[in-house]
Amino acid sequence: MPENSAIWLKNIHKSYGDLEVLKGIDLQAHEHDVISIIGSSGSGKSTFLRCINLLENPTEGEIYITGEKLDLKRDGKSGDLDAVSQKQLAQLRSRVGFVFQNFNLWPHKTLLENVIEGPTQVLGKSRDEAIAHAEELLTKVGLLERKDFYPNQLSGGQQQRVAIARTLAMEPQVLLFDEPTSALDPELVGEVLNVMRDLAAEGRTMLIVTHEMTFAREVSNKVMFLHQGQVEEFGPPEQVFENPTSERCREFISSIF
Amino acid sequence: MEFGVVVEYFPRLLEGMLTTIELVLVSGLIGSLLALPIGLARHSHRWWLKAIPYGYIFFFRGTPLLVQIFLVYYGLAQFDAVKESALWPYLKEPYWCAIIAFSLNTAAYTAEILRGALGAIPKGEIEAARSIGMRQSKLYSRIMLPRAFGMLLPAYGNEIILMLKGSALASTITLLDLTGTARTIIARTYTPIEIFLAAGGLYLVMSMAVIYAFRQLEKRQNRHLQLSR
Repeated sequence: MPENSAIWLKNIHKSYGDLEVLKGIDLQAHEHDVISIIGSSGSGKSTFLRCINLLENPTEGEIYITGEKLDLKRDGKSGDLDAVSQKQLAQLRSRVGFVFQNFNLWPHKTLLENVIEGPTQVLGKSRDEAIAHAEELLTKVGLLERKDFYPNQLSGGQQQRVAIARTLAMEPQVLLFDEPTSALDPELVGEVLNVMRDLAAEGRTMLIVTHEMTFAREVSNKVMFLHQGQVEEFGPPEQVFENPTSERCREFISSIF
Repeated sequence: MEFGVVVEYFPRLLEGMLTTIELVLVSGLIGSLLALPIGLARHSHRWWLKAIPYGYIFFFRGTPLLVQIFLVYYGLAQFDAVKESALWPYLKEPYWCAIIAFSLNTAAYTAEILRGALGAIPKGEIEAARSIGMRQSKLYSRIMLPRAFGMLLPAYGNEIILMLKGSALASTITLLDLTGTARTIIARTYTPIEIFLAAGGLYLVMSMAVIYAFRQLEKRQNRHLQLSR
């Protein structure tokens, strides 16, 4: 496989009992790719994203992260695939940043503590080093002066910006965003999208599940349209948004714009 | 009513109260240490890990504390192996029998409280820890246990108060805790109302102290919840 593929997923299937949510999805993300994953709700886009770092266990498929294959075995009870080695899984996860719809900050820790937790506990950095980096990142997302606040003292948009800083603190090689603005009040969406825009401009590799079509069109170099667990359309944003080959994608796009 | 006896015997009641406090503190400490692995095992998704603590908790929650005390105090002496063991000097003492029974009892309740708190942690917070590559041990020590600790305090404070009152049963195996002391005094003075009222008052003072201590602890532990925007 090519050296520069940051994420390579082959034939990802996911079933819940009889319900097949993902029906064999392939995706290769190269370094500096910004790929938006769009589709109506229930199309499987979040499940697909969560399969990448095994927050969801796929039923079938292969996962390569930064060129390294994640070893999978079948779990006898659930029938899904699970990591052979928890150590390898943890290692690969630390290279992939995940930003959640509901931020998922740890409420009992201050913002600074949230951001330094991973570097000190997982990467083994010294506290001083981690704090210096965390302060840089909090500056970047515009929340340095709030570093000693607790998450529930912040607005949703601010919490999501901290969550992004927490993810960046791990110095991940790929960033996954799972509907990062869907839980936000409309007036708070912009501040989060601005942070993400900056990250894309830095050349970071990003996969973004989103409903923000204008944003997706603007920042991504590729767009994937999922429908009922299958890739219906994949290509540059101009193609997907203006000249989709699939009828379903056309319908979806026209229902939005 | 003759409240002079209360004044006269108050120092002895205080001594009994100290024994009660000691019983509750020592068994509370041992019980919470035992509860940690039991509660963690109970929270596991592996059935065989869950099974043992399940049986343990089932027994200690399902039988009266008094029966448990009697089992330890009268029951253990039936076994020669126990009598010949190095622990016998302790096991024959009612004090240690009470400590053992209370510790095992409160460990069962506390483990169940811990399990409840662990289960109540929002899934997303755990996923966030997993997603940065945290392994199981760190996940528990850094995220889940501290988080559960804040959530279990109200229920645990309640358990301590229940144990404080349950400790009166120690008097049935000749221990001179607050209740036991009160009963010996009454046997001499025939003033049950006065002495039991005084003992009840002292129990109230202790309960209030526990409530106050836990309220302070909760405030400290959950300060992140009280601050508003």
